[in-house]
This record gives sequence, structure tokens and C-alpha cells, in this order.
Amino acid sequence: MIYAVLQRLGQMVFVMVGISLLVFLIFFGTPGVDPAARIAGRNASPEVLEAVRISFGFDQPFYIQYLTMMKKIFITGDLTSFVNRGWEVVPAVLDTIPVTLSLVLGAAVLWIIFSLIIGVLAAAYRDTWIDKILMILGLIGISMPVYWLGEVMNLVTQSRYHDTWLFSWVPPLGYKPLSEDPKGWFLTLVIPWFTLSILYIGLYGRVLRASITEALQEDYIRTARAKGLSETRILLRHALRTSLISFVTLFGLDFGALVGGSALLTEVVFGLQGVGKLTFDALQNLDLPIIMTTVLYASFFVVVANAIVDVVYILLDPRVRTA
Amino acid sequence: MKKLLMATVAAGLLTLGLTPVHAEYLEEHRGGTMRLVARSAAGTVDPHINYTLQYWQIYQGMYDGLIAFKKAAGAEGFEKVPDIAEAMPEVTNDGKTYTFRIRKGIMFSNGQELGVKDVVASFQRIFKVSSPTAGGFYSVIVGADACLAEPATCTLEGGVIGDEAAGTVTINLTRPDAEFFDKLALPHAAILPADTPASDVGTAPIPGTGAYYISAYDPNTGMTMSRNPHFKVWSEDAQPDGYPDVIQYDFGLTDEAQVTAVQNGEADWMFDQPPTDRLGEIGTTYKDEVYITPLTAWWYAPMNTNIPPFDNVLARQAVNFALDRNTLVNLFGGPVLASPVCQVLPPGFPGHEPYCPYTVDPGTAWSAPDLEKARALVQESGTAGQTVTIIAEDTTVSKAIGTYMQSVLTDIGYVAEVKPISPNIQFTYIQNTNNNVQISITQWYQDYPAASDFLNILFGCSSFTPGSDSSINIAGFCDPEIQAKMDEAMLLGVSDPAAANAMWVEIDRMVTDKAPMAALFTPKRIDFVSKRVGNFQFNSQFYWMVSQSWVQ
Repeated sequence: MIYAVLQRLGQMVFVMVGISLLVFLIFFGTPGVDPAARIAGRNASPEVLEAVRISFGFDQPFYIQYLTMMKKIFITGDLTSFVNRGWEVVPAVLDTIPVTLSLVLGAAVLWIIFSLIIGVLAAAYRDTWIDKILMILGLIGISMPVYWLGEVMNLVTQSRYHDTWLFSWVPPLGYKPLSEDPKGWFLTLVIPWFTLSILYIGLYGRVLRASITEALQEDYIRTARAKGLSETRILLRHALRTSLISFVTLFGLDFGALVGGSALLTEVVFGLQGVGKLTFDALQNLDLPIIMTTVLYASFFVVVANAIVDVVYILLDPRVRTA
Repeated sequence: MKKLLMATVAAGLLTLGLTPVHAEYLEEHRGGTMRLVARSAAGTVDPHINYTLQYWQIYQGMYDGLIAFKKAAGAEGFEKVPDIAEAMPEVTNDGKTYTFRIRKGIMFSNGQELGVKDVVASFQRIFKVSSPTAGGFYSVIVGADACLAEPATCTLEGGVIGDEAAGTVTINLTRPDAEFFDKLALPHAAILPADTPASDVGTAPIPGTGAYYISAYDPNTGMTMSRNPHFKVWSEDAQPDGYPDVIQYDFGLTDEAQVTAVQNGEADWMFDQPPTDRLGEIGTTYKDEVYITPLTAWWYAPMNTNIPPFDNVLARQAVNFALDRNTLVNLFGGPVLASPVCQVLPPGFPGHEPYCPYTVDPGTAWSAPDLEKARALVQESGTAGQTVTIIAEDTTVSKAIGTYMQSVLTDIGYVAEVKPISPNIQFTYIQNTNNNVQISITQWYQDYPAASDFLNILFGCSSFTPGSDSSINIAGFCDPEIQAKMDEAMLLGVSDPAAANAMWVEIDRMVTDKAPMAALFTPKRIDFVSKRVGNFQFNSQFYWMVSQSWVQ
């Protein structure tokens, strides 16, 4: 057990060092990104440029700059932004985590509930018109890019139909902290939750239907039928349970990536100041300290989510335990 | 100088006439919270360092320099008025010595009274924090060289001298500078408390002397500006009182969402330009809430005068003849949003006289492209058939312009391709000679209203630094004859601004004839405000005067 944990930790360190080195090298390798010139401002004179270069340590060798940055992220925690100088990056990222968690957790609840319903219904009524309609809807959900859907949702709920009874409850865009205004928190997040989850509802519904259909061909289902169990019970207790394995694998990966910042487009479209939006803004003005911190944070979550998935696997499938 | 004095007197008289109205309005409309929205923050809040229009605009109600641009609508905003200085200074020593009498009783938002030492310290701080313009604008002060070399120990000895007893500050220059007042009126020369840290404060706001101060700032969410409790009006022209009690500047909405927020009255103004797909509804349903103003700025295509094919003046002129400015204007959003231009200085700018040699009927205005002439010039230059890469920004408009220019260059005999690169990188990428950029698409917005801010900065020899990401003379253009003329005009501006501007007219023509760039168009700015915003006034220097509008 300890060996497994250590192995995981080792993997994590390896992944994070690799990614951070890559980010660092790509950043400095790109022409036109001389951070000193960007910090100094347009039309800075050579003397000013030099002063900035020295004060930010850009005259040091790369490995020293890299190590200094890592030290400031992990040990002293006082790394500051290149653009908003004096803005401490680590607290800034920590501040945005509740926003991203609120968004992703809510969306995850929605997409688990709805995709379970859709997957089970479609499997139960497979090859009927109910199945076909649900699968087509799922496909439509998968095909709609989230930034487009988000803007359309905004246009409908904030602009075109904002004054009708249907959407007059929708508050202005932006995040309201749960601790200060629970109702506002809920209302501002309803539309983003649905927007983010639609893709996953479609995807997970289709995956679940396929694996239930497959499970229904298994021998143990025939045994269950022979015992005289009801179809509903067979579907829910026997077929669904084994089908959840692929569902959970997918969920772990997607959830980890979303908490790590992949909900970026949703956050940007709905003006939610989460990790994704922070990353997006940092990319807009090439703020390396923030890019670096959010990328490390994201890779951390993906690795952790993977580890959790492995554990859940064991709980769901006895075969993995013995192997 | 005489002219300046007259302008001040006239401005004073005008103010006297206007004050009662302003006071009445103030009583009626004072109060409320004004909410501004922008896509994102604009970096550090340090006025000595921030070099963005987004924050320069709001600094107007928060910080003061010795001199200020007049808080008035339109081109009157280009006039300079005394601010922290009691009056426009006495200039002696052939225009090299300025003596400012510091106004008494001005308070910072932290309750300290502003004194001579704050003024002296603020000038030193420009260099200590390596302000972007320390080397460009303020290097003319005596002692600046030492400060640029060793920022930490900057004293500006002999350059900025305070006299506590007399309440004066004397500034000595190494040479006369016609634009020194303009430079003093920029936020980079704002007067801050002497004990302000000598490093970029980043997100910790510095107390100012204006009607408002920043009471909260988080680059990820927003900025709150509240009334400065210690503020008393000393000059309506320099620092008038504002209407709203609080100005809340929120960051994070996309341009689409900003339009919607303003339409719904959830926000009072959007900083970013509305996306083109929303212009239709803004121009019809909301036409009473839109203000469109031509800017003193230009979109242009600098051509690298040091590498083929544009090291040949005929090739550069050919591009100028071939471009259909009407098409370019339409790509930008149509004649409502831009107007065609052939020359460097934008309309309404000092030294601007309409001039357009690159059209079918050369004269003062552009009418139509002359493709035949362009093709002939390319043939004559012997550059036909060469490969040209256009570096555009990866934005809708810039990319469309790049693609259009590609078709034009192909038409006149080049093998053209267009490379759009991320807007975050493009502006520094095209400046560096190591990247061998032949032609690119970019913009320039004025710092202050002086012809040299376009001509000398964009096409002067000293703005060209090979191998650096900071080399704003993107064309690498350095013409000894033109440079000598520019130096002469800048010197003449000290004693005779009118004669200097006449010289700038000629320089503008000379540069335009040498065509180190193709001028594309003059953009206009759209200000979209909510229904409740009243008294909208657009100042040519720093744009909409936020605190001079009311919300109730």
C-alpha cells in the first residue's frame, strides 16, 4: 500500500517537473515575449529596459530563474505576477478555487443525475423511438461547443428574453460567494451549471447506454433472469452496477481536469473569476508566474483524480482487487 | 509662452462663467454608484508605471501633476492648466529652467498635506521605479543620465530642486523642451507622497490628491474608487469634483456580456469596444446611449526599410498606391467607425494638414487606389516576384486586413503570404529586427498632443534599437535630413509653437512621401453608456471623463 502511494507521489513529481520545465522553456523560447520589454512598457529606452531586466532577474541563467520560480511557488509562496506586480500569485490562485469548485461540483451533480437517467432509459427502451430521440439529443449536446452555447444562453437569458417571466430571475453575470449570499450564489450558477454539463450529459448518457447494453448480454444477467428477477431489478442492480466502471473512470478524469481549469471557457463566458479565467487572462498578457502556477495546480489535480479513480475501481469491481 | 498665458486666462474666464451651472448640477446629481465594466484589469495601479489608456482614463480623477490637461470636452482637453503648481511656471535660462510655486493646502487621500518634498521625491521616483517613459520623456531633466544608469540612488541633483521656505520647485533641463508641459501632465509625472515605496506598488494603491482614491483593488475581480475625504476643489479646470460617490470598475465580462449588461442597466459603461455583431442593435435601439468620437490615433502598416523588398522606396510607395482605404475602413466596421488616411498625423492633431499623395487624384483627400501606378512602381523598383510576409494580429479585424493586403500585394506583383500571430506577442515581435518582419499591421495612440509623439517616436532615429523587443520605430526608418528637421522643429517649438507646427506639416509630408509605412485609417471610439448616465463628455486627451458624468 505504502509502495503504491509512493509510486503515485513519484509520478506526480515527475509529471509536474516535466510540465513546468516545458512551460518555462516554451515561454522563453517564443520570439516576441522578452518579458523585460513587456514589463518596461511600449517605447521604453534601452536604459530602462536594462534596469527592468536586472530588477526581475532576467539577466540570470535559465536554470537559476527556473529554480527561483519553483522556490517561490512551493517554498516561500511569494511569487508575484509579472503584469500586476506585487500581486501574489499563490493566494490569487487559492482565492479562485471556490469559484471553480462551485461551478464544477454543481455541474457534476447535474451531469451524473441526467446522464444516469438518459443512459438507463435508453438502454431499457433500446431500439425504440425513446432510445433514438435520447441518443440524438445526446449527440447534439456533445456537438455544441461550450463557449458558443454559453454566449447563446447569455443572449437568451440576459438580453433577448431577460424581461419575460421565464428569465427575469436570472441575475447579472458574475460570481457571488456562497457564504455571503447563498441564494445569489445558486441563481448565478444555474445557467453556467447547465451549460457546462450539457456536453457531459450527452457523452456520459451515450457511454452508459453502450455499456449497459453490453452488460445485458452477459451470462450473469441470464442467470438473474432464470432466478425470476424483475427486469427493472436486473437492469438497476446487476447491469447498471458493472456498467458504472467505465462511467467512473471517465468521471474521474473529466472532473479532475475541470477542477484544474478546463472549465476555462465556461468561466470566461459567464464572467466567473475561477482558476480557468485566471489562466485565460494570464495567457492574454503572458503572465508567466500565473500561467506556471495554474498549470502546476491543474496537473496536480489530474494526477490526484487519477489516483482516486484507481481506488474507486477497486471498490466497484472485485476482479481488480484480486489481480 | 505668451500664447499659453492667454489661453490660461481665457480658460479661467470660461470657468468663472461655468462654475454656477456646475455647482447646481452637482447638488442635483451628486451621489450614487457608477459601475464600469471591462474584460480585464490593466496591470499595476502605480501611476508612475502603468502605461495603458484604460487606467490613464481613471487616474484623471485620482492623481494630479504640477500641470494638468484641462478637464474639458473635446479638443479643449489638449490645453494645459496649472494643477499642483499655483500658476504656469516662469521659464528662464533660454527655456531650460522652470520655477513652479506649489499650491498650499492640497491634501492626499491619506490626510497628509502635499509639500515641496513630495514633488521632489515624485520626480526621483519616476527613475527609481524605472517608469517606461523615464528614458524617453524625462531624460531631458538635469541629472537624469545618472538616474537612468543607477536608478536606486537617483537624486536628480541639479535637476529638480525644492525650496521649502519659498514653497517652490525648480526644474532644470539639459536643453529646451517644447513638450515638457505635456510630459508633466501625464500620469507618469503624478505627484505622490514622498514616503511612497521606491518600487512598483503593484496592487497596493498609492494615495493621490484627486477627488477619488482607490479603496479596493483586485486585478481578478475589480477596483473600487471612493471619494477622497480630504479633497477640496482648488481648480475646476485641473481637478473638478465628481458626481458619483463610488465608481466601481468590474473586470471579467466578455465584450458580448458587457453590451448586455449596459443594455440591462446593470453596468453604466463598457471599456472594451462592442463586438461587430452587436453594433446593429446599439446603433438603432440604443442610439441615444452611444457616443462615437474620432481618436487621435492611426492604424498603419510599417514597412521594414532595411530589408528587401521594402528597402526600396518605390516598392513602399507602390503599396501605398495600391491599398483601397475604403475596403480597409469597411473591414474595421464601416465609415461610422473609421476614416481613410494617407499621412502620419491624425486629423485634429497639432501639425495636421490634410495630405494624400497616394490616390488617383493626389491632393488633400484619399479617393481611390491607383493600381496601375502601383504595378508600374513595382516593376520600376525591380522587386517584382519577391516574397513578402505580412505579420498581422490574430484578431478578426487585423487578420481580415492582412488577408486583404495579401491579395493587393499579389495583385501588384509580389508573392505574398499572411501570418497572423497572437496579439499578445505581435506588437513586440514586429519591433525586433531579429525576426526580419517585412511588413506588419499595428496601431499607435497618442501619449500627448504633439506632432513629435507620432513623427519623432515612430520614425525617429533614436527610437530604432536593432535586436530589441522595444524598438518602436518598427520600420527601422532613419533619414538624416528628416531627423535634422525634426530636431529643429522640436527646438523651435519652445519659442514659437505655431512656426514649429508649420514645420511639422512639412515633416509629415516628407515622411509620408518616403513611405516607411502605409497609413490605413483613423479609428473612432464607441462609448456605450446606460440610460441613467448623464452629462457625457469626451476629452480628447484622456477620453470620457468618468467622474464628470452622473448616474442619478
